[in-house]
Amino acid sequence: MSVLALQLAGPLQSWGSTARFARRTTENAPTKSGVIGLLAAAQGLERDADLSDLAALRFGVRVDQQGTRTRDFQTAHHAETDDAMPISERYYLSDAVFVAAVQGEGGLIAELYDAVRAPRFLPYLGRRSCPPSRPVELGVHADADLEDVLRDEPWRAAAWHQRRRRQEATVELQVITEPGRSGDGGGSPGDTLRDQPLSFDPRHRRYALRTLRRATVRVANPHGRPVHTHTADQRHGAPAHDPTSVLEGA
Amino acid sequence: MSRIILEVHVLQNVPPSNLNRDDTGTPKSAVYGGVTRARVSSQAWKRATRRYFTKLLDAGELGVRTKRVAEVLAERITARAPAVVGPAAWEIAAEVLQAATGSKVEPPKRKADSAKKKGAEEPAPESSYLMFLSSRQLDGLAELAVQGAADIKGFLKDKDNKARAKRIADTRHSVDIALFGRMVADSPDINVDAATQVAHALSVHQVSNESDYFTAVDDRNSGAEPGAGMIGTVDFNSATLYRYAAVDVDLLERNLGKGLDAEESPTTPVRRAVEAFVEGFVASLPTGKINTFGNHTLPDAVVVTLRSSRPVSFVSAFEKPVVADEFGGHMETACARLADYIPEIERAYGDESTDTWLLRIGPATQKVSGLGTEVPSLKRLVDVAGAAVADRLERRG
Repeated sequence: MSVLALQLAGPLQSWGSTARFARRTTENAPTKSGVIGLLAAAQGLERDADLSDLAALRFGVRVDQQGTRTRDFQTAHHAETDDAMPISERYYLSDAVFVAAVQGEGGLIAELYDAVRAPRFLPYLGRRSCPPSRPVELGVHADADLEDVLRDEPWRAAAWHQRRRRQEATVELQVITEPGRSGDGGGSPGDTLRDQPLSFDPRHRRYALRTLRRATVRVANPHGRPVHTHTADQRHGAPAHDPTSVLEGA
Repeated sequence: MSRIILEVHVLQNVPPSNLNRDDTGTPKSAVYGGVTRARVSSQAWKRATRRYFTKLLDAGELGVRTKRVAEVLAERITARAPAVVGPAAWEIAAEVLQAATGSKVEPPKRKADSAKKKGAEEPAPESSYLMFLSSRQLDGLAELAVQGAADIKGFLKDKDNKARAKRIADTRHSVDIALFGRMVADSPDINVDAATQVAHALSVHQVSNESDYFTAVDDRNSGAEPGAGMIGTVDFNSATLYRYAAVDVDLLERNLGKGLDAEESPTTPVRRAVEAFVEGFVASLPTGKINTFGNHTLPDAVVVTLRSSRPVSFVSAFEKPVVADEFGGHMETACARLADYIPEIERAYGDESTDTWLLRIGPATQKVSGLGTEVPSLKRLVDVAGAAVADRLERRG
């Protein structure tokens, strides 16, 4: 089994799983349907193509930089009468970075790696208006396991983000994977998400429920600096900040 | 087979303005690089680009996006068969549109009910959402409608005629449909995948919105009621925007088809569409609050790139927000960032057959001058980009 690691970074991303009609929400991390869609588009598959090979890949994602949620309020106007059309709300993740990985048979993984480097359809992060700001591909790991890749991949957060946490030599990142096919150890099967793609055919898009397993990994912070003892003392010695205390007796 | 992808990168100063606002009237924003940036949504700039096309292209090359498709088609039917007018033409048009797109086209219920109550005539049929049809598709459907006008329902029951209607809606797309796509929920097989990708424009620097408090005095104010006739606030910001769009020329060619005219080159339709897009995207501006702020600006720097593997956005060059130096201004630093960033990303990830052209104005943009072939005007930029696309298409055959 090989693993293809991808980085998903851009000013805006949007990964919907239940978004319909006027309210288009985003999950906190890339969905399997979104990433499989990105790979299928890179291969040039049409929307009604058979997805079974891609959907069978084991999928995992690591939250390297959580980002913040941005709401976009969208109006549209009638071309001729200029009447207002129904308004819609779209949600995006701003400033987020993820490492995603898919695990599968070596030949297919190699094909996908070539595809993301020369994609047939223009790549985007969940929504067309969200092009990636860094090259998507990180590399192929032959004979590797999804969990190991997500643990060993360097921290991909932006430099400013890493510096902001410079007092931590290592940081804890959330990893969301799906249970291994062999049912290895099981862990605690957490929540489910309807993002297992069955068909992207616009006539009847279909997704199945998928079990998510959440864990954390520790990765090194390249901008981590050892904490000087006296600053640590100062921090611990600082008085509790309680502005209401001065109001007592007022 | 090698790909053809064209990118447009723009740096543009916009003084106090509110190009694109949210439901509270505040200019849109997004966080990037840990700080808040001004944002103009992709759909706002796509609409501005599409409106700009009316200056560049004949109406026949463009599409109409409207719910009132039946009226639009009926006009063309009447032009061909003057006997078929008014509600009779609407009905025929509605039937043909229904056959072509699979979508219901009927008088909106509320309007119909209110007309009935008042004893007025039944209103024109409409589609339930904006329908995007090219001028040539409407002409084709009008021809078909005229042929079957005597008994339109019977005519469209014929399988071949129905298939013809569908085929007409699925070929000869207009330039704007080919570039920006079309979605017909009831008939996905005639959907058109957009050949362009337009990113949200972001400021290269941190922005905080400001609020302009205004009062307006009533000209006929009497002494009895002194004070302002109205008061209010308008939110705004000023920004140096990085704008990015990519055109998938291969998809554009599939959407538009090759030239049908024996006299024109097979690459002509694609070339015209690419040229229209480059000019429209560079020169257009969303019109939000433009009469309040008069923020009519044009880009200071435009980089157009033609590649053969994958599109590359340069937004990462501005992930670290640009800070105005002691003399102020963001454009010069933004250009310096691009001048450093582009060669590095090209070396690391670019492909070998990249062509780059450059249009720039003023000393602030000096730094980008080495990035590609400089051209003196937008007209020239559009020309060379269009010619290069046509050349690559021809060489590929």
